[in-house]
Amino acid sequence: MNELELKNLWQSAHDKLEVSIEMNKKNAEDISRMKVRSLLGSMKPMKILVLLLGAVWVGVGTSLLSQIYLHAFSEANKFFLFSASIQIFLTAIALWVYVYQLITINMVDVSEPVVETQKRLIRLKMSTLWVTRILFLQLPVWTTFWWNESMLADWNLVQWILPVTVTVAFTCASIWLFFNIKYENRNRKWFQLIFNGKEWTPLMKSMELLEQVETREE
Amino acid sequence: MDKQKQQQFFQQIIEQHKGILFKVASTYCPNDEDRQDLIQEIMIQIWQSIHKYNDEYKMSTWLYRISLNVAISFYRKRSVRTRNQAELTKHMDGIIADQDSEKELHLSLLEQFISELKELDKALIILYLEDKSHDEISAIMGISLSNVGTKIGRIKDKLRTRFSQLKA
Repeated sequence: MNELELKNLWQSAHDKLEVSIEMNKKNAEDISRMKVRSLLGSMKPMKILVLLLGAVWVGVGTSLLSQIYLHAFSEANKFFLFSASIQIFLTAIALWVYVYQLITINMVDVSEPVVETQKRLIRLKMSTLWVTRILFLQLPVWTTFWWNESMLADWNLVQWILPVTVTVAFTCASIWLFFNIKYENRNRKWFQLIFNGKEWTPLMKSMELLEQVETREE
Repeated sequence: MDKQKQQQFFQQIIEQHKGILFKVASTYCPNDEDRQDLIQEIMIQIWQSIHKYNDEYKMSTWLYRISLNVAISFYRKRSVRTRNQAELTKHMDGIIADQDSEKELHLSLLEQFISELKELDKALIILYLEDKSHDEISAIMGISLSNVGTKIGRIKDKLRTRFSQLKA
């Protein structure tokens, strides 16, 4: 089939299509009057909510921990103090990524060239992977914050088996996830399980485009 | 532009260029219900971007960018909005029902072969089949002119191969 035949075929199909389209004018009117939100925009409220909750958590946490460091360091339970500090620090980093995402969502302009817009969306996706990686790094500190110095002195080996096993397992899992949550593993079942949900769907979709966009720039 | 003029301009654009929306939507969404969702999403994006339109580009270039960007990235099967949708009815029956003629058969094969292409290749082939110049395709896609020629050449070869495989 030559070029002309292909184009004629395509054109004839869509000529028929256009004639048969019953374009409801009311549809265009409705959209121009409704306060509608686009699919990408629909991600914003969730991100803003997470950002606000995270900011409160980090704010309150930083304030409490600062008081302990400044006024009660010697009496404080160091396990709790250092675990909580690491947790708050990692959450704060994740929040900055959320801020970056909100800025990027606002900057996405669908009337820009296709490849450029897709690249921006892919960068958005990449940053989402970073949030998840950072948050998973927190796993071990959730298992150590309740330890204390008297446990070190009083517990025997058997008593330590369970908490140490849990902490080691969480540490291994968090390090493994930190290094393995990446684009190359997007088709793995565990990956799709983690990134399954309304918030992730558009980003998962744009992830599939990465290879195509890259080949367009060869 | 005041709100009322913007509304009139929007309705005028949709009326005059609805073919672009439907062609893009029908290429990316074979399923009728999904296609209606996609068309609505494209219209919403056009409405939300209308204040940014400038006549530096042709209206069709601007609309193709929006339609293709939405079709490629934003679309997903489950709509998250409250369904306040007007019915956009498309009657394909007459087009594909009668597959007796060779033309109709070729047409459904072409649609099938295009549906097998990757997202960005679909965009390129739509623009090529719509007889857009390489300059305009380059402006819509944001790739170099030489890349446009190369990529379209490869896609055409793929389609030709698929058709010739059937004849063989």
